[in-house]
Amino acid sequence: MSKLGKVSKNLSDNLDEELLLQKPVSVWKRTIKRLLSKRSGKIGLLLICVIFVIAIAAPIIAPYDPQEVLIGKEVVKLKKREAPCIHVFGCDKVKPQHIMGIDGNYRDQFSRIIYGSRISLSIGFSTVSFAVVGGVLLGALAAFFGGWIDNIIMRMMDVILGFPSLLLAIAIVAVLGPGIRNALLAIAIVTLPAYARLTRASVLTVKELDYVKASLALGASPTRLLLFRILPNSLTPIVVLATLGIATAILDAAGLSFLGLGAQPPTPEWGTMLGSERNQVFSAPHLVFFPGIAIMITVLAFNLFGDGLRDALDPRLND
Amino acid sequence: MINKKLALGLISSIFLLASSVSAGESVSAKDCSYGGKVKSIEATGDLEVTFTMCKPDPAFRAKAAFTPFSIQPKEYLDSTGGGGSILENPIGTGPWKLEKWNRGDSIIYTRFDDYWGKKPSFEKLVVRWAADGAGRLIELRSGTVDQITNLSPDDFDSVKSDSNLTFIPVANPNTLYLAMTSTFKPFDDPRVRKAIALGIDRSRIVDNYFPLGSEVASHFTPCSIANGCAGDSWYDFDPDAAKALLAEAGFPDGFKSKIYYRDVFRGYLPEPGIVAVEFQSQLKDNLGIDVEVVVMESGEFIDESTNGRLDGFYLLGWGADYPHVTNFLDFHFSASNPQYGDVHEDIYGLLEVASTIANEDTARPLYTAANNAIKRIVPMVPIAHGASASAALNTVKNAHFRPFGAPLFHHTDPGKDTFVFMQNAEPISMYCADETDGESLSVCQQVVEPLLGYAIDSGNIESRLATDCTGNSDATVWTCQIRSGVKFHDGSSLDANDVVASWAAGIDQSNKNHKGNTGAFEYYSYLFDGLMN
Repeated sequence: MSKLGKVSKNLSDNLDEELLLQKPVSVWKRTIKRLLSKRSGKIGLLLICVIFVIAIAAPIIAPYDPQEVLIGKEVVKLKKREAPCIHVFGCDKVKPQHIMGIDGNYRDQFSRIIYGSRISLSIGFSTVSFAVVGGVLLGALAAFFGGWIDNIIMRMMDVILGFPSLLLAIAIVAVLGPGIRNALLAIAIVTLPAYARLTRASVLTVKELDYVKASLALGASPTRLLLFRILPNSLTPIVVLATLGIATAILDAAGLSFLGLGAQPPTPEWGTMLGSERNQVFSAPHLVFFPGIAIMITVLAFNLFGDGLRDALDPRLND
Repeated sequence: MINKKLALGLISSIFLLASSVSAGESVSAKDCSYGGKVKSIEATGDLEVTFTMCKPDPAFRAKAAFTPFSIQPKEYLDSTGGGGSILENPIGTGPWKLEKWNRGDSIIYTRFDDYWGKKPSFEKLVVRWAADGAGRLIELRSGTVDQITNLSPDDFDSVKSDSNLTFIPVANPNTLYLAMTSTFKPFDDPRVRKAIALGIDRSRIVDNYFPLGSEVASHFTPCSIANGCAGDSWYDFDPDAAKALLAEAGFPDGFKSKIYYRDVFRGYLPEPGIVAVEFQSQLKDNLGIDVEVVVMESGEFIDESTNGRLDGFYLLGWGADYPHVTNFLDFHFSASNPQYGDVHEDIYGLLEVASTIANEDTARPLYTAANNAIKRIVPMVPIAHGASASAALNTVKNAHFRPFGAPLFHHTDPGKDTFVFMQNAEPISMYCADETDGESLSVCQQVVEPLLGYAIDSGNIESRLATDCTGNSDATVWTCQIRSGVKFHDGSSLDANDVVASWAAGIDQSNKNHKGNTGAFEYYSYLFDGLMN
């Protein structure tokens, strides 16, 4: 053994020893640690947690049923679109407290905003889940098999990407008919190509790597290769895109509802609430302000979280 | 040789001219079997037109004062064939001459200096439009427009207290109703319809969603119209009786349906979306009926509802065109109107007889029986007679809004050269013989005029292009004396032939000028029971 060989053997022995002594840290654990070390990620995660708590505990937090018309049900006669009444801020104690005011149909706006979080979250998660499952599957198939399958799938995706997304969603809802389910489907369809493309690119890179080739040489079936070797190692960018996608989906769904194509009355959906009171922007600003703020905070939360997650998962941005 | 040709030409043109004057225009039906009211319209003199009816029509003067029956030059009708450029560029006798219609933006008129009546005090009239009430009020407050229509009820108080603005109540009689089409289940069962009539708390709707001055409808027709509320008042709210009746009809737990509406602001329905949701919650709470709220495009909604094709509830209303009970009842409950599904002879039989009686007291028992039959059969549920308002800058003198028809702007004085009026929407066309849309009628009536017209502050009928129309004793022959010296905007003079030609283009289906925008000429058909030939 040459001198140089000896040195390198000693070095590698020491390294192995160090590695063996080190506690194994999973990718996700490290990611969460890195995410929490960034302020934006921390705030995003905190906001998301708060929104989740509000959504889960809505029946406890909300003082009224979100669909209950309060005409004749309170001691003091309510005025349509009455401004917020908060006792701490000097509102007459005789009057029942409505911290975000009353809407055009004499319903408690605060309760509607609270229950609206359930709808927005379920819209965000269900559309993105649908788009991710569909997109990842299509993208992976396209990349793995290549050839004409790749061509057909990706050209279809190109066609969908050729339309402005909200316009295409409006067209789809116009054909299927308005309603929250159709709006979800429309948004999922228009966002699906982004996931397909990203997955395809990721799979194309990963499938050329040595461990995949090794697995192939060991006789793994194509399904095993795709599901256990390639896909788990291509998912990182998808997770980031999906987190940001939730924000976009919530925004798009609110947009469709604003136009009367999404959630239908009396569902307490933020976009619908904004749309039905849009003419009152000067006479009753609280009716457009609060749903608007609710949408903004939720979207911001997912955007911050998504950005944080991207940074945390990026190997080039080491701490 | 040249002189001989010239003389011949002169003689022939004199002959032609003589023949065109002497041969008074006329239009007539072969006989009265077509079911309509008009038998013939004839120019019985240079300035006299005679309308002969198949059956008595005591409301003729009130109808002849309505904008769709306005007069345009015969030559212009002939040259356009009743279509094409006439849809965008009407030629009338009114105080305002159309200068330009900027599609999607505005309509500009200039003063017609040869107008026969009171001349406008300002040079230009501009009509613009904006769909939402808040938008219109912002424009008014910023001074970019001088008057707006259909103030949102929520803005009533702020406009009243604004020293820069004038609040103008609009006294147009109207009715909002909740309709059902009886050809669809379960509305074919009269018990279901009656249960709905009993199960809607109409006072709650009027008290909480309509501006002050609105009333709960006791009858389909408002009481301000003679014989409008003859007969028994509508059912009182009784949710227990309603539920029992619905259970008896086989729906103890209610049923599923839809409630259709169009998102268009009207005096009878100030906030369509909000009121539709109120109906949704009342139907659910009081009757267990689960309805989905469906908003439709305005044109499609009118087409589907008036043809009886909507399978659920729908919210529609009616603003009076002319001050007569026939305008409410005969339009909605005639034998030819399928909007509530099956038609009922118990109602239209009485109305057909009543419409031929001139004396209001003589007709009262018939209208009493007809209103009672409507209550018994419940083709729809009358809800409210809405109060509505317009607003203007307080610098505008004599700002007004007529109970019937758009403002007469030549009576208004903005104290400057241009007056800008803002309404709900852009007109569909400006050939109003074939329009029913309020926004179209309001822009038309600045340019064209009918034989008679409505007063500025009431439903009284005044002279316009006719000095008057007088009927014979049984109201079957109406003779109108045409005003002399009236000029059209193209410089030609008004005579009896123009009147006959304008009416003929609308009422006679075989007329070469019977083209219009849709070709339906609905008001000719509805108000005179059908088109001839």
